[in-house]
Amino acid sequence: MATPVAMPRLGMSMKEGRVVEWPFGLGTHVAKGDIVVIIESEKTEVQIEATQSGVLRHIYVQVDGTVPCGKLLAALTDSADEAFDADAFRTANDLPDDQARTAPRAASQHPAVSPKSDLPRRAVAPAARALARQLGVDVEQVPGSGPGGRVTKEDVEAWGKRAERLVEVSAGVRLEVLRDGQGDPLVLLPGFGTDIASFAPQVRALAATHQVVGIHPRGVGASDAPQAGCYAVATAAADIAALCDAPAHIVGASLGAAVAIELALAHPQKVRSLTLITPFVEASARLLAVVDAWCRIASEASIQTLAMALLPWLFSEHTLSDEAACQRIVRGLVPSLAAVSAPALRRTAAGLRAWSGSRGADLDRISAPTLVIVGAGDLLTANDDAVAKRIAGARNIVVEQSGHALTIEAADRVTQAIADHLRAHSA
Amino acid sequence: MSRELPTAFAIGEALRIALAGDPDVILMGEDVAGGGTRPAGTDEAGGILGATRGLIKEFGPERILDTPISEMALLGAAVGAAATGMRPVVELMFMDFLGVCFDPLLNQAAKFRYMFGGKARLPLTVRTVTGAGMHAAAQHSQSLYWITSGIPGLKTVIPSNAGDAKGLLLSAIRCDDPVIFCEPKQILFLSSEVPEGDYEIPIGKANLVRQGGDVSLVGMGATVNIALQAASQLAQEGIQADVLDLRSLQPLDEEAILTTLGKTGRLIVIDEATPRCGIASDVAALCVDKGFDLLNAPVKRVTAPFSPVPFSRVLEEAYLPTPQKVIDAVHELF
Repeated sequence: MATPVAMPRLGMSMKEGRVVEWPFGLGTHVAKGDIVVIIESEKTEVQIEATQSGVLRHIYVQVDGTVPCGKLLAALTDSADEAFDADAFRTANDLPDDQARTAPRAASQHPAVSPKSDLPRRAVAPAARALARQLGVDVEQVPGSGPGGRVTKEDVEAWGKRAERLVEVSAGVRLEVLRDGQGDPLVLLPGFGTDIASFAPQVRALAATHQVVGIHPRGVGASDAPQAGCYAVATAAADIAALCDAPAHIVGASLGAAVAIELALAHPQKVRSLTLITPFVEASARLLAVVDAWCRIASEASIQTLAMALLPWLFSEHTLSDEAACQRIVRGLVPSLAAVSAPALRRTAAGLRAWSGSRGADLDRISAPTLVIVGAGDLLTANDDAVAKRIAGARNIVVEQSGHALTIEAADRVTQAIADHLRAHSA
Repeated sequence: MSRELPTAFAIGEALRIALAGDPDVILMGEDVAGGGTRPAGTDEAGGILGATRGLIKEFGPERILDTPISEMALLGAAVGAAATGMRPVVELMFMDFLGVCFDPLLNQAAKFRYMFGGKARLPLTVRTVTGAGMHAAAQHSQSLYWITSGIPGLKTVIPSNAGDAKGLLLSAIRCDDPVIFCEPKQILFLSSEVPEGDYEIPIGKANLVRQGGDVSLVGMGATVNIALQAASQLAQEGIQADVLDLRSLQPLDEEAILTTLGKTGRLIVIDEATPRCGIASDVAALCVDKGFDLLNAPVKRVTAPFSPVPFSRVLEEAYLPTPQKVIDAVHELF
């Protein structure tokens, strides 16, 4: 396993730092607490301790290089000979200005502000605290969806239920699985940065005829969020395959559709039918830019701000012209967006980037009966039959007056289309 | 049978029922019987808002008494009458004049039962017009019910509509303790359903006028309508609001407040009075003190600013709570 060494943020005003010295040579062993790097910021040299022992495997920023806080400086690996891909590690860990990352402790005698002291006290609603006491939940671990990240009673309730929903998919990795209804299994895979609540209208309707299985990928909701590497689309597909005992109907939205495509290609025996909602195979520059902005806003602003910033990208002109609907949507989005932490978003984004373009030539190998649903007003992914025509026999539906967040914006239309598709392929 | 009446007429109806049903009930006030220098009964004004118009002809000058423009004399006489067996209903033209008749209320009416070992009764009702919204300027627009609500021995009630005004006033007149009956300007000429006949609405009980579940809006007097308007707009956004009409400010229905808070976890109190030492602060304190573990968000107060009521129409509109201010406060809670 590899551990990143990043440019720390040693106080509110620090924006960047310069590497002064690497006391250890490449390939040498650094013990936890050793001075791994000396940096200079605001005319002060600061010695940075290694937070973990390891071999100094790769140096990304040489002496005299000046980089922003959070930028990846070096990688430590557990051993000198374990597999290590310097570029992939950079993709997953090169996270400038990552406030969620705890900066290493400064070892020098120079005064340094602990990054933790800059963080405001975490707000917990009294009702949430009371419920946490009653349920025996550690409230400090519960993600908050209230204004300014306040932990609400609903957050504690959801967290309290998570244990019974966790299923191990590979060694040490458990995913949160929400099941509703009886019947043939129907797996729902949410899009980037959202949880299964984005499928709420579909769950309500489809649970009447199917066992709806909502799966939170790595880093979403109560699912485990491994602290190393990116969350690759292929890994997500393997996780789903591990969860499916029998072939299932698979429904994915956006990045969830990417996972569904990957599953249909890598584990075709698990897929009974495929529904791809606003899918992509080559991410557009705009989609990648929105994903980057999403990651940045999530780490620097409130969830409410994030929801408002995403609104114009995810919804059509038609919905945006209805002020009350926008209020309702923002309020609905907030808990869904709060389910994914900023670091998990960045790891997921790295996985999305890495997958983009990798499966374009393989779509014609998909054998499962496929339905594609797109929004005519989608700004982020194709708004026509560009994906459907590359999959043999796929049916394509274009929903008018809808953008990217189809499951919310055209909830009934999407539910109906899925129900029809399931009925046609349930024999 | 019921019909729609303006609140001022519903108040007149309650007075007529009380006068007809109990010979000890008398009315006292400025221009309640005659008006100006004219002989009583010849050209009655019926008080500043006409609520007592016509009563002099039915009940005569022995029971419908015009008084000089001296609130001190008026209240002093009324407290004496109440202590000696009558059941006076006083019209204090505007609550802003509380200052000139405070001693009879604060130190006499409020203390008699207590200081005479529970043996004295003081069945006094003070009807008084409160609040802004009629461009009556700083000295005729205040909501001072927070002062009388803070004095042990006085009860203070405030209706939000015509039907409640009638029932609450009948309860106030028949109560053996002094009751301040507030008449919010903004509802006096609004019509709403008023049941026929004699009925009482209990003092000390709040009324849940709309059922929601996501947020509690607590109002009193004119702000109940504001809460209801905000609630119907919020419903379009998918937020369902409980609306609680306090009706009685002292005693305060703590149980009703804590019940709605327990249901929603989010509470906003709307008060057209100034924010310091007021009913809104009192309700917020109750929620924090006795309802702490129920709170899923901070308690918000939507009140007038800490300032005299402005005369300018534009400024007065900006001064008062509005449905939009309530909606903005609700949005801070989710």
